[in-house]
Amino acid sequence: MIEAIEPLMTALQSEAASGPAISPSAAAALAVGLAAFGAGYAERGIGSAAMGAIAEDEDLFVNGLILTVLPETLVILALVVVFLV
Amino acid sequence: MSAAGGSNPEYVIARVRARRSALFGDEEYRKLVRMGPAEIARFMEESEYEAEINALGSRYSGVDLIEYGLNHNMAKQFNDILDWADGRLYDLIARYLRKFDAWNVKTIIRGIYSETPRDEIETDLIRAGEFDDRLISRLLDAAEIEEVVELLSGTIFADGLEAAYDDYEDVGVLVPLENAVDRAFYEQLLDGLVVGEETKQYREFLEAEIDFRNARNALRIARSGADLDPTDYFIEGGTLFRAAELAALATNPDELVSKIRDSRYGDRLSNALSDLEEADSLIGFERALDAALLEYADTLGYVFPLSVTPIISYILAKEREVDNIRAIARGREAGLPPEEIEEELVIQ
Repeated sequence: MIEAIEPLMTALQSEAASGPAISPSAAAALAVGLAAFGAGYAERGIGSAAMGAIAEDEDLFVNGLILTVLPETLVILALVVVFLV
Repeated sequence: MSAAGGSNPEYVIARVRARRSALFGDEEYRKLVRMGPAEIARFMEESEYEAEINALGSRYSGVDLIEYGLNHNMAKQFNDILDWADGRLYDLIARYLRKFDAWNVKTIIRGIYSETPRDEIETDLIRAGEFDDRLISRLLDAAEIEEVVELLSGTIFADGLEAAYDDYEDVGVLVPLENAVDRAFYEQLLDGLVVGEETKQYREFLEAEIDFRNARNALRIARSGADLDPTDYFIEGGTLFRAAELAALATNPDELVSKIRDSRYGDRLSNALSDLEEADSLIGFERALDAALLEYADTLGYVFPLSVTPIISYILAKEREVDNIRAIARGREAGLPPEEIEEELVIQ
């Protein structure tokens, strides 16, 4: 039994040593995606609050828009990772 | 933040905060106390109250116009809030706003009892609670109090009213019915309230409301010397009194006052309590209770900006504004000097 597993183990170890489970570009893509997810979550609250404020006073449209897209900077910063890889 | 999973609290709170900043401030009040009723109506026409004053302007004038304008506007604002809110937030807000349902039910019952015409009852209603227009118009159409009790089956007032109706038939006075309505309102305030970190402050506020109501009732019974059992009027849910305790305290006002002084409201009410002991003035004490509640309202909403508390804070501030403007209008009509009216106002 053990003799049968041993070659498999060495094979797995040598493959693990040869490289990480996912490639660097895939990891970078994942990082950007997670950052976008965070930005979306932040915008959800800000956006609905901004809509409420604009409904009361239309002059707040510009302020509301700016505040709503501020978390977008998260995604832009995360995009830097893509160029670094 | 919300149990519904949406961003509803953010939306409602943004709108409510905008409305709160549009409430009258010190400066407006200073101007208002120097105006006559007609000028106050004109001043209101140029403010948030424009639509109501214009709509009612052809039917009423003077202080009546101001009063109905205020009531309509308050009802509209609070209905708006209930329209916007969803899920758990709605439940929390509706708890407090059912106060106006209780007010409407009492007004309708009193109107039927005194055989007031339907139109006159209708103008006195404040449609800010949960009842929709259809239910209210059916209640208004009712010719007998029994019909009102039947129509209300299925609401929070059902159980208490049915029991109280038998008492009413026996004695023929409205007191048992009105008590049943008030009691139903106060008892649902804390009923099934899920207390998290955020709603803790809200619960404290509701408990204070109940405690103060109990204290007020006990003092009134003690003062009036009437042979009433205070436990009949006791409302469960407060932290200050137990039913049995209140019965003993109501016969002994001094002990009641010292009990309140030792409670968690002692600091806030200490001046009012001294006044009560010295001057024997119940009116002053009741105003102090109102002011203490308002103080709660001021601090509400800063610790948890995305909970129900900023909304409740707005609701209280709005009620206070309506009371203040009404006091100014009535005071001016009666010819009181501005300084005296200013003393009556509760300004934050």
